[in-house]
Formats: sequence, C-alpha cells, structure tokens
Amino acid sequence: MKSVAVLTILILGLSLVSCSTKQDSNQDSKLYVVTTTGMIGDLARNVGRELITVESLMGPGVDPHLYKASQGDIGKLSKSDVIFYNGLHLEGKMVDIFEKMSRQKTVVPVSRDIDRKKLRALDANKSIVDPHIWFDVSLWRETIPVVQGVLTEKNPQHAQAFRENAQRYSEKLDSLYHWVKFEIAQIPKPQRVLITAHDAFGYFGLAYEIEVHGLQGISTVAEYGVNDVTNLVDLIVGRGIKAAFVETSVPQRSIEAVVAGCRARGHEVKIGGSLYSDAMGQPGSGADNYIGMVTANVNTIVSALK
Amino acid sequence: MADQIARFFSFQDANVRYVLFGSVILSAAAAVLGSFAVLRKRSLLGDALAHAALPGVCVAFMLTGTKSILPLLIGATVSGVLGVLMIQAVTASGKIKSDAAIGIVLSVFFGAGIVLLTHIQKQPLGNQSGLDKFLFGQAAAMLPKDLLVMGMISFFLLVVILLLFKEFRLLTFDPDFFATLGFPVAFLDLLLMALIVLAVMAGLQAVGVILMAAMLITPAVAAKFWTNRLSAMIAVAGIIGAVAGFFGTFLSSLAPRIPTGPVMVLSATFFLILSALLAPQKGVVAKWRLHMRNKRRMAQEHFLRGWLEISKQNSGHDRVEVGELATHLRLSRQAIEKAGRRLMRQGLVSIQPPCFALTEVGRQKATRLIKTHRLWEYYLIHRAQIDPDHVHRDADEVEHILPPHVISELEKIVETEGVGSGKFASAHPT
Amino acid sequence: MKIEKANDIPLEIHDMTIAYHKKPVLWDVDLIVPEGKLVGIVGPNGAGKSTLIKAVMGLIPKASGWIKVYGKPYEEMRSWVGYVPQRESVDWDFPINVREVVLMGLYGKIGWVKRPDKAHVRIAEESLERVDMQAFAKRQISQLSGGQQQRVFLARALAQDSQIYLMDEPFSGVDAATEKAIIQLLGELRSRGKTVLVVHHDLQTIPNYFDWVIMLNMRIVATGPVSQVFTNENLHRTYGGKLTILSEAAEAVSRT
Repeated sequence: MKSVAVLTILILGLSLVSCSTKQDSNQDSKLYVVTTTGMIGDLARNVGRELITVESLMGPGVDPHLYKASQGDIGKLSKSDVIFYNGLHLEGKMVDIFEKMSRQKTVVPVSRDIDRKKLRALDANKSIVDPHIWFDVSLWRETIPVVQGVLTEKNPQHAQAFRENAQRYSEKLDSLYHWVKFEIAQIPKPQRVLITAHDAFGYFGLAYEIEVHGLQGISTVAEYGVNDVTNLVDLIVGRGIKAAFVETSVPQRSIEAVVAGCRARGHEVKIGGSLYSDAMGQPGSGADNYIGMVTANVNTIVSALK
Repeated sequence: MADQIARFFSFQDANVRYVLFGSVILSAAAAVLGSFAVLRKRSLLGDALAHAALPGVCVAFMLTGTKSILPLLIGATVSGVLGVLMIQAVTASGKIKSDAAIGIVLSVFFGAGIVLLTHIQKQPLGNQSGLDKFLFGQAAAMLPKDLLVMGMISFFLLVVILLLFKEFRLLTFDPDFFATLGFPVAFLDLLLMALIVLAVMAGLQAVGVILMAAMLITPAVAAKFWTNRLSAMIAVAGIIGAVAGFFGTFLSSLAPRIPTGPVMVLSATFFLILSALLAPQKGVVAKWRLHMRNKRRMAQEHFLRGWLEISKQNSGHDRVEVGELATHLRLSRQAIEKAGRRLMRQGLVSIQPPCFALTEVGRQKATRLIKTHRLWEYYLIHRAQIDPDHVHRDADEVEHILPPHVISELEKIVETEGVGSGKFASAHPT
Repeated sequence: MKIEKANDIPLEIHDMTIAYHKKPVLWDVDLIVPEGKLVGIVGPNGAGKSTLIKAVMGLIPKASGWIKVYGKPYEEMRSWVGYVPQRESVDWDFPINVREVVLMGLYGKIGWVKRPDKAHVRIAEESLERVDMQAFAKRQISQLSGGQQQRVFLARALAQDSQIYLMDEPFSGVDAATEKAIIQLLGELRSRGKTVLVVHHDLQTIPNYFDWVIMLNMRIVATGPVSQVFTNENLHRTYGGKLTILSEAAEAVSRT
C-alpha cells in the first residue's frame, strides 16, 4: 500500500516538473508563434522572418469554419508565446479555446485594428461581419501593423528588424493590390462574375469591382438547399457566364451539381479551376504563401473568364 | 411563393428532378428495409450502422486519396458490416444485452471515425474537405451519376425483398421455428443486415450518416399504425418514405438556405405524428373517440337501468327525480342530465324537470338491459369456463358491448338451466 | 418426398450434454422414446425441459452427444419433426393473420422463393379446422386470446404433417376449453401413430394426459411409462425437498 502511494506521488511530481520545464525552455530561444490559418502564418513569417518560429494549425485544404482543434493543437497553443487568429468568427469552432488561452497567453486577432466601417456587414445591425478579409489585399495589409506591434512588444530588442520587415512586406502587398485590380479589369464587363462554392469572396468583389455569387453562405457550416442550386443555375444561364470555380477547402459536389443543372438547360459552364479560398496551397505549389495564393487565384479567374 | 411552387411542379429544373428522383428512391428503399429492422426490434441497429460507416469512409479516402463515390461507399459498407458483426459477437457472449451492445459499438466506431476525420484534416493533402459531409449529407447536390448508383442499389434491394419475402417474414416473426424447417437462419439474418447496410449506404450521400437512421425507422413506424399485414406495412412505409423525400425536395426548393436532407427527415417525422394521431383504430384520436362513445353509451344504459330499478322500488312511479338517479348511480347531477338529454334525443326518455320519465320504447330497452345484465352476471359467476373467448372484462363493462346473438345464446342457456331470467336476484347491488 | 426412416425409434438421444458458457444445463442425457406415445416432460423451473427439446432440433448447440430420429440424424429428418414453441417466444403484435402463420408450417415443403399455392392454403385451412379456428383465418394475431394463439401454433405444427411433435408448454396460460381441445388433438395424433413430446408444468394432470413421462432435473431422473415411473420416490428425486410441490405430487401419484 505504502509503495503504491510513494510511486503515485513520484509520478505526479515528475509530470509537474516536466510540464514547467517545457514552459521555461521557450524563453531564451526564438519567439514561438502559433497561428490558425496558413495565411496568418505567412503574414507572421514575413514580419518576423528568421527571428521567430511560426506554426499554423490549419494546413492546405482545411476549412477554418469547420475546424476543430485536436489535442495536439492544444499542446502547440499551450507552448506558444503568441497566438494569432483571424477573428470575426472565422474560426467558428475554436472560440472557447481562444477564450481559455487568452487568460494566460497573448492571443490576438489580426483583424483587431481594421476600421469597422470597412467590414462587410451580414445583418442589419452590423453585428455579424464577413471574416474573409484576406481577399482584399488592401484590408489584409492592415493586419501587418498588428502583427508587428505584438511581436515588438514581446521582443523589443528586435523592434528595428520587425519595422523594416513590415515596411518591405507592406510595399509588396501594395503592388500586389494594384496588379490584381489591373488584371481583373481586363475581364470584359459582362463576364466579370465570379461564381464560387461559398460566399467567401465578398471583399474580393468589392475591392476589385467584380460581381460575386456563392452557393453556400458565408460559412460552410450552413447547408444549402435545392433552391440555392436552381437560383445559381438561373443566374449563370441567364447571364451566359462561362465559368464557375470550385474551392480547395470546400467539396466540389456543390458546384458540380450547378454545372449539371446548367448543362441540362443547354448551357455549358465549365469549371474554370480551383481557387484557394479559405486555405493556401500545398507546399511547393507556388500558392503556399499569401502572395502566391492571390496571384494563382487571379490568374485562374482571369484566364477562365476573359 | 406561388411562382416558386409552380416552378417546382413544372419540373423544369434539372437539379430539382435529380434531387427529387434521388430522395424518393432512397427514402422508399430505406423504408422497406427499415420495416424489417423495426419489426425485429432492431431499429437502433440502423442507427448504429449509419454511424459505424464513418470510419470506413475515412479509411477508404486515406487508401485511395480520392473522394469518388464508389470506393467511399465500399469503405462505408465494409465498416458498417463490421460494426454489425461486432454487435452480434458482443451480444452472443450473453453478458451484454443487444441495446447496450448497439450503443457501445455505435459510439466506438463513430468516435474512431471522428478521430480519423481530424487526422485527415491535418494532412497536407489539400482535397480532404467534404468527407465530413458524409455526416450530414448534401441532398441538394445530387448528380446523375449518384442517381445511377442509388437506383441500382434500390432496385437490387427491392428485388431481393420481393423474392425472399416469406423467408424474411418468418425470420422476423419466429426465427426458431424457421430454423427447425431447415432454413439457414443465421445466413438469412446476416443477409437482411447486409441489405439494411446497403440501404443506409444508398442514402449516405443525400441525408448523411446521422439522419439516415430516421429515414430507415420513421416511415416504418408510421406505417405500422395503418395496417395489419406485413406486405401492406412495407408498401405504406415505402410510400411514406417517398412522400417525405418528395416534400423535402419541394420545401427546400421554395426558398434559399433550406437544406434538403434535414427537411426530408422532418417531413417523415411529421407523417409519423399524423399517423399516430389519425390512423383509424390504432390512432390516438380513433381510440379516444371509441372510448368516449363507450363511456357515453354506458352512462346512458346505466341511466335506463337505474331509472327502472328506482321506479320499481318506488312501486312503479313513472317519474324519477334527477337527485335520486344521481345518488343511485353515484354520478353527478350534470352527468345524469347530460345522459338524460341524449336519451331524450333518441326518444327513450322525456323530461319533466326536475324528473325524468321513460317512454314506452325506453321502458322496453331498460327492461332488456336489466335482463342482460343479470344474465351476464350469472354466466360469469357460474359458467365462465365453458366459452372463455367471450370473456374479456367484468360484467359492468362488457355487457354493453355484447352482440345480440350472444345475448340470445345466454338466454337459451339460462332457460335450459331452469333459472328464469329476471327472477333471480342480482349478485351485487346495482 | 420424405426421407426413409432407418428404424422404428422416433427419438433416441445418447450421452447429450448442453452447456451455456461452460456451466452444464443438461447433463449426460440418455433416452429412447417409443413410437405412438404421448410423453410428458416434467421437472422444476430451470431443469432444462425447454433446453432438451430445443437441443433435439439443433436450436441450441450441444457440448456432446448425438440425436437420432428414426435412426438417422435430426438434420436429415427435419420434415419428420414438428415444433410448437412457447407462446411467449414471438411478438403477437406482428402484422400477420392466422392463416399466414399456419401456412408457415408448410414453408419447408414450399421451398425458397415460391409462394404457397391453393393446395397449401387448403392444408392450412384443414389444420385450422382441426383446432376449431377456421373462423379466425383472416384475423390479425394480436386480436387473439391466449388459448387461440396456442391453437394457431398447434395448427401450424399440424400443417407440417410430421410423425413426431415437440411441444413447449402448450398448456400454460390457456383456458379450459383450449386445454380440452389440445387433449383431444393429442389423442387424435396418438391414434394415428404419431409420437408427441410435451413439456408440461402441471404435475396433477400428468397421469390423465400422458402415457409416458420423462422426469428431468438437469439430468434424466427417470423415464418410462407413467404407471411405472411416476412415483413418489422419483418425484422426490426430481423436485428435491420442495414441500408444496411434493404434496401436489403426492396427490397426483395417488391417482395413478
């Protein structure tokens, strides 16, 4: 009996010690930043560069609306120095975790400082907004100071480096923004309609003056019905739209159904390509960083619709 | 709204046609198989099967790297069947009952499926989205190639059920007796389970794992209210299922953001509630009306009998006061007055407040009732063992439901026994 | 149509043991039942009476031993054996009518997939007549009384037209009229040379109804003609020291 008690105390004590040592081990090495989406991870990487370590919980093809954190994720979050997430309810199923983590850690939504007026309201009292801010490069650019600020706060000794990195990245995004605007304008006005699987591209449409329609709503959690499918088919056939687009993080079936419906009415709408909507591309695909993702999307859209 | 409705019924939209066809077929097939599951008291099995399919879908995806329907369905079927076999194995040991076994296996498999789903989420594959759609289905996105698969499965199911109808019926009703006839009961049982698995698979893409159980069970349970024959029950179940499928499609075509699968399930449930309430004989409303009718008739007949008895006690007065009747019958004044008024409408009673009087016809009926009541008592007490098929309840109730030919038989018996009707005292007061 | 029999012994069981999860339920059963007898099977609750007949028909696996029907294994002679299960073993709320239940007795002869034809229906109706249930042919079984249900089961077995009948508690919970009808039926069967084994619970009536008895309490205590075997001593050995049962039994014995 006694030996069991002693053993139990030993084991408990050891585990407590090992927990705390893990926490300490991060203080002298690089800042460990954990983000939710890959886009935010890319953002942090561009501001912190070699001075920080970044890990993203959601990889290519992952739907952030539906993503549920695993035990391993919780582990990473607990070990982190800074947690960045999108906010505006994009990571719908992780709200509780952020709340819990924020009691002991620095947990920051990168959308924090964006002027509320620039956000798309989805209801009458502006309480629900569209979270897909990365689709408008100019909006996304406004997250850079937030990241820079938090990193500087955590590691003031690198303030200079962070400032310079942020500046350089902002300039890159500026030119990207103008490039996108130019490209989209190349699409003849009647064809300038973007049909996608879910309503992610609202900001894209607003910023670059292209009409957008999705089959599913703002979040892929919501289900669509037959009416939504036929409405989209009506739109496509009525306007003679050439192409619709699937998304890497949403099942293709929904768009395939729309295509089949159009075909039955004698209108061939092709699947113009796969867009990176809520997640970036595979490593090595060229779309595995924010700028690459935007570029790939725009090229796909323009070549299909022009 | 009106034009949406018109548009639906014009069937001009291909998508509407696809979804309609698919929903109707899958619901009908599921309902037919579900009937057997329900009758075998294995309703929960359909639910377990649907949930147990999840890990199979994930494994199939992990092995093939594609989301095409065939490998996923095969994976789902294998996993579902494994689940069923495991349930049988667990129950066979005897320590765990079948409902616990089903619950356990269901949870374990489903949990494993969720774990696999989460794992797949983390893989840098880039195309894994949509496996979780197997949980809730995407009925609105039915494609012609899906319809082909579903149609073939449903057709196959119906053919097998049709061919082996009498075998499955006896299997469900009395498996022991079935075994003594030399039929391979274990094999047929497994076959039935496999067919249920197949029915679940057919509906997986449309309604999803979680709601599929409802499409199996609900129409079958609803159908049971309407019929006493298995073949009719299956047909009605199939029809209810098909109509639920139709309604799901119809309602979801009327306005945006109405998901087809869940509405199908809600429609089926609606029909179940309707059946439970309105079915003739077995429905709640029907039973209640029968009950009320009997109550009323009993009250009236008690009234008549009581009136005559009181009148006799008062040496043949032809008027009885309401209060007297109330005390005699131990009922309230209102109840007496209500019964009296109804009898008046039938011409058996006349009102001279505060008394009632019997008409000539009323008097005859009252006399007959008293005689019947005494006969019945005598019969129950002395002779019940001879013709028990007519004895269900005690005298006070059943005498009112005796058909006339039984009454005349009783009279004959009593006469041959030499006991004059009406000449012996009642065994109990009133 | 029927397989030929090898000898004239309707039922022979040798060295049969049944075990549920290692615990023996029936132990070392050895018995021979002669032809044309009405055999009562008695024993206390849990003695293995139902188990015995279920094991004969292969519904329960055997740990050891063999069973021969007219000299051949039971599996070959299935059509020679008719079965009347306990009434509680089915759900009488099942959507089916009386005639369809009786027709089930003929499924062995009808075979796979085929439907019963007119001749089969006639056999079913005749079986119903023999138990006086022909008026109920189209009745839903949930609307029947206990005695009527029992008679439907009997009719089903009669439709099988077997040489041996195994009945599990056909007299339990039935009214006097049905009991009389069953006795009459048993007598008829015996006069046609059939052999009937009946699991029975009422010791009082054993001497009246049966000419042969199997006394069972996890093992065969005694088996043989009622007049020889149904003794006080054997009852004591079968039922142990249960006083109330003993006194009933004593009364029954005194009437043999």
